[in-house]
Amino acid sequence: MSAMSLRSLNLPGVGTKYEFETDKGDTVAIFFTKTGTIQMYTLQKGCKTPSAAEMTPVEARRLGNILTGAIIEADQESVEIAFSALADLRVTIHSFLIPKTVAGRTIEDLQIRAKTGATVIAVCRQDRNIVNPPPSFVFETGDAALVIGESDQIKMFEREIMVD
Amino acid sequence: MEGIVLALFVCLILALIAKYLSVPAIPLYILAGVALGNAGLGMVASDEISRFFSEMGLIFLLFFMGLGLKPERIAANRSAVLVSGIIDLNINMIIGFIGAYLLGFSITESLIVASAFYISSTAMAITSLIENRKLMLREAETVIWLMVFEDLILIIFLAILSAGDQNLVLFLAKILGVLAVLYALAHYGKEFLISILDRDDELPIIFTFAAVLTTASVSIFLGVPATMMVIALGVAFATTDPDAFEQHARPFKDVFLVVFFVFFGVSIDFSGGVNWYMITIICLLAIVSKLISGILTGLYMHGSALSGLEIWGNTIGRGEFSIAIAVLYGSPLVGTTIAAMVIVTSIIGSFTAKYSTSLKRGILHLGRKKSPSHRLHTGR
Repeated sequence: MSAMSLRSLNLPGVGTKYEFETDKGDTVAIFFTKTGTIQMYTLQKGCKTPSAAEMTPVEARRLGNILTGAIIEADQESVEIAFSALADLRVTIHSFLIPKTVAGRTIEDLQIRAKTGATVIAVCRQDRNIVNPPPSFVFETGDAALVIGESDQIKMFEREIMVD
Repeated sequence: MEGIVLALFVCLILALIAKYLSVPAIPLYILAGVALGNAGLGMVASDEISRFFSEMGLIFLLFFMGLGLKPERIAANRSAVLVSGIIDLNINMIIGFIGAYLLGFSITESLIVASAFYISSTAMAITSLIENRKLMLREAETVIWLMVFEDLILIIFLAILSAGDQNLVLFLAKILGVLAVLYALAHYGKEFLISILDRDDELPIIFTFAAVLTTASVSIFLGVPATMMVIALGVAFATTDPDAFEQHARPFKDVFLVVFFVFFGVSIDFSGGVNWYMITIICLLAIVSKLISGILTGLYMHGSALSGLEIWGNTIGRGEFSIAIAVLYGSPLVGTTIAAMVIVTSIIGSFTAKYSTSLKRGILHLGRKKSPSHRLHTGR
């Protein structure tokens, strides 16, 4: 991994360029332009014309999530973060839409931690965010919960809590 | 005042159209000015207010340019910047000067036409590289540094053309004096500048506006070119937090620059007669001479004439800086010629930038048909 040489370059008037060559000899270049868009170019080894895609920052973040190996569904999103310095520790943060069956119940009586090992770290309710909700927190329909844990714990959460 | 409002409204519509068609807006603004002003319907005339707005447009354009010039970066890329820059400068200045002189302009006028002829539009080149998704091409970097070099040369032009018949030693001494003050302010006042820029209230934007205007008026008072000094102010401020300054100067630049272009169009007057023959020749020369300098640069930098074609495609458009030279130093005839050159080259340039890839492919294809063995040499 560390053999991959990443080149970064400031281009006056344009923005910042990041470029690296893969082991197989393909080249990937990313430009953060001053207009706020992100352009990604890929150049296959031996090819002369690169192909390009232009993205908004949101789209670029989604692409980043996909590339880190997370699963993305239509309304549910998941990010996996790997800390390579901490023995490759991997944590997943997943968002879930609260179903009717869970609405009206608290985190405590759902026994989320005991049953799954995962933790609800935030709830988004009508554009308002509640970070670190207490055990007495009552879910409502329409809430989106952000759950953190190992990927097995997240799967368990989906099986045990979401389809109650 | 009604004139400015009408002109701005027309430009707003034109800007929408230009964005929709993805062509540069500058030629449209100038044409709108021509149509509304002296040479056209006569609905808009320049007055005190429009002149002030136009001046602001020019000053903020140059300040913005200065913010982007980071001397240490240029030094790091010296050899690449220098050679291609010098090819571009020599070829285009010489062809522009000889062309203008043979067409009957005086020596001073020819020099002004040649300067406007030489300097490509940085805004158009960079927009076309981004919009046509060419940033990864190896020629893109060459084009970007070429624009930086042209900006540096513009500073020298501004100094030479503004010197006039002043005492040169005194003139240079005054310039160096102001430069030293600006540099000292940015160097010793760095923490103060950054503390101002970090604020969330209206102070950063007021400060930016005031700093640019103060520099311009002090320069005029001292008899040194204000245009050059606002660039220097940009360069000096770029050592603190250039992104913040760009953000605060951008609204002023964007609005005032539109007024600047449209009222340049308004000021164009055909009453002295228009020499279409002369205009056609200058426009053709403007396209051909960038082709020559482009191919030479391509051969030198990338060992390929086709690379030169790509460089050419992105640098044909003359724009904001050519107009600036025309406004600052041009006679009406020179102004009309430069206006026509900007309009023609910027429109043609937007097409060559868009289709340069197909153009290169077409030429490669033709070359292959003629001599199959040639294929070997078309690689790197």
